[in-house]
Amino acid sequence: MSDALKQALDLSVFWEYRAVLLHGLAVNFYVFAASVIVAVGIGLAAALMRVSRLPPVRWIGTVHVEVFRNAPEYIMVVWVHFVLPLLLSLLLVKRLEFDPFVSSVIALGFVYSGYFAETFRAGIEAIPRAHIEAGRACGMSERLILWRIVLPQVVRRMLPESLNQFISLFKATTIVSLIAVPDLMYQVTMVTQQEMQPLPLYTGAALVYFAVIFAAGTLLRALSERWRRKIYA
Amino acid sequence: MSNWQRLVWNQRDALLAGLGVTIEVCAIAFVLAVLGGLALCLLRMYVKPLRPVAIVLIEFFRATPILVQLLWVSYVWPSLFGFPDSFFAAAWLALGLQSSGYLAETFRGGIEAVPRGHREAAYSVGMSPFATFWRVIVPQVTLASAPSIVNQFTVIVKSSTLVSVITVRDLMFQSQKIVNIWYEPIEILTATAALYILLVFLVSIAGKTLADSLRSRYGIAAT
Repeated sequence: MSDALKQALDLSVFWEYRAVLLHGLAVNFYVFAASVIVAVGIGLAAALMRVSRLPPVRWIGTVHVEVFRNAPEYIMVVWVHFVLPLLLSLLLVKRLEFDPFVSSVIALGFVYSGYFAETFRAGIEAIPRAHIEAGRACGMSERLILWRIVLPQVVRRMLPESLNQFISLFKATTIVSLIAVPDLMYQVTMVTQQEMQPLPLYTGAALVYFAVIFAAGTLLRALSERWRRKIYA
Repeated sequence: MSNWQRLVWNQRDALLAGLGVTIEVCAIAFVLAVLGGLALCLLRMYVKPLRPVAIVLIEFFRATPILVQLLWVSYVWPSLFGFPDSFFAAAWLALGLQSSGYLAETFRGGIEAVPRGHREAAYSVGMSPFATFWRVIVPQVTLASAPSIVNQFTVIVKSSTLVSVITVRDLMFQSQKIVNIWYEPIEILTATAALYILLVFLVSIAGKTLADSLRSRYGIAAT
């Protein structure tokens, strides 16, 4: 047992492959960044639909949120990668295939757009109606009210919760290794198959992810707390 | 339509067996998560010498992705600690451990939210520390954290799709097996996705109803 422990903590194999593994970690960040853009954009759109005055628009927003919030990330990634291109090929009568990177960004972006939509909506609904009415009374257009009065307050309010969602999203990017996006987890699996030493490699991967996520989470939380305090004060 | 029948309806035995395994893994993981979360939380709050250990464990479980933990527990733990001895055990262990980290923090928040006066009142009528904890603090914490506990259960169900990666024969595993037999992914994967979404939806509705009815019965307004 102490032998196994020594082997697990002997990270020299991990160090030997650092270039490949670091590149993998960078891929995690690319997937994360692209998914964040998709998730926040579509999430905002869905939230605006959910607070719309037209009932059918509201329903579409609600269905979007309920479907994507309740969908496991893995099945969505697999579905987007293997089913969506086939459906689109049938529709466009043209053979289509997604790059694994594209599939993962679409899937993760859509799944997390459901969570972001709810956060946005809570933020929008927390804004006093008087602010919007005051904007109207000054003759501001609906669009201007949205950009100048509603969204700045929403962003401030939803910051702590969206940080948690960013962190969940980053953790979810490990799943994309399963459709062969060459991220850190994928590289670790590949190196493991070559070196036949799962102990130090998987332990190393767990430690790296822990360090990155823990450090980023702590730092971002501290920063957002400071920023919020500065603005509210 | 015949494709749906051939690829989904005729495979219902395999899919139902997979669904059974999914539910089994999730249920065991949930029990482990609640018990583990409670233990970690109590260690962190009341056992001074073990406090750093509890904090490190909680933060480690919370900050590692579930896929990483799943592979780590199933490939590293057996040679390190001698268990888990099957992939099934590794699956519920990893799912449970991750959620126990989250639940420990939920419970801690709940315990800290109980006003000091309640504890002092209990001591002043002569209740022992254990009775105070069990009769005064635990009921309030349970009610306050009921929604988060329910939420954590849906997270477990969603993460459980990943146990197919370590060859546990859950719903995801069975559906991918069918894909690999017929090479016609459209119907079966769509059906599986719909089934999972429905399952998580039902679980969260049921949990929310239960949590709200508990809270309204014991006089805390539903949020």
